[in-house]
Amino acid sequence: MSWRTGAREATPLLGGYIPVAISFGMVAVQAGFSVWQTILISTLIYAGASQFLFVAMVAAGAPWGLVVVMTLLINARHVVYGPSLAPWLPKSRWWPFLSHGLTDQIFALALSRLPQLPTEQRLGWYSGAMLLAWFSWVAGTAAGAIAGEELSRHWPLLGEVMPFALPALFLVLLAPRFTSRSWSIALSCTIGMAMVLTLYGFTNASIPLAAASGALFFYLTKVHARAGGRLDG
Amino acid sequence: MDNGFWIALLFVSVGTLCMRLLPLLWMQRHLLKQKSKGGLAAIPDWLTVLGPLMIAAMLGVSLVPATPSLFTWLATILGAFSALMAWLWTKSLGWPVLAGVSTYGVVIVLARITIGG
Repeated sequence: MSWRTGAREATPLLGGYIPVAISFGMVAVQAGFSVWQTILISTLIYAGASQFLFVAMVAAGAPWGLVVVMTLLINARHVVYGPSLAPWLPKSRWWPFLSHGLTDQIFALALSRLPQLPTEQRLGWYSGAMLLAWFSWVAGTAAGAIAGEELSRHWPLLGEVMPFALPALFLVLLAPRFTSRSWSIALSCTIGMAMVLTLYGFTNASIPLAAASGALFFYLTKVHARAGGRLDG
Repeated sequence: MDNGFWIALLFVSVGTLCMRLLPLLWMQRHLLKQKSKGGLAAIPDWLTVLGPLMIAAMLGVSLVPATPSLFTWLATILGAFSALMAWLWTKSLGWPVLAGVSTYGVVIVLARITIGG
């Protein structure tokens, strides 16, 4: 059953999802949202960084129009995920529902795994991975909204240690891509740029900005290699 | 909370879903059209470059500790190193993540004990 494989391979994501979802649940309730509103935000928006911004802006009394625009702006990076995966995702009438689960992490996992799977297993794999991640996010939010303070009192270290599952997973997904000089330079520059931007507090802008600068480096090294080849030849 | 909350939630939810769904459907249709014309169904070159770079950017963001200190950076470096070693050894997804998280956790606990002691 391909959906089981998808769910199994998405399990490492839970280490990153659940602690963050618990803290989102706590933050939202402390900001004045009810438990049900908090759970609905996670169920319907399902995008970590933008949910935190949504709650923070509402709590600060920002105009609703500005809340919508800023939240959507943060999620704008999602527009490249679907087209990048399109060659490996078969047509299905379920996409209006399934694409709801196309988060950063599911994209990263799917981009690495889908090309290795037979065509008939891809939709099942994606569904299993996406549903597990979505349910864990909603369940984590509910746990945080209902009993967040108690959970962080009982297991203070767990919330600090488990999120390391995300960088570990991204590292494993990226490692096989260091295949050439151009890719190694572009990937290293992107990682470095994203770290610097995050350290300077530009966390939300760092993913598209770092990826764009990495792409620039990729094409520059290609051009440089071609020019070098011409000069040498 | 007033009606504004529900309207904003609706707009953000539908907007986010559209950003995930519409480009996917558009590209799937574009690839089918290319195929039916007898051409090679392929996504634009820049998209094949941008995909892995988005993952690299996510890695960069997630590598920065929530509370940067000497110990959290040390835990990050050692955790990443052990995840990489486990990947080289097993070439799987789950074991490297487990190795990375365990190493990270051990360094954090040891740091707590050292500071506490």
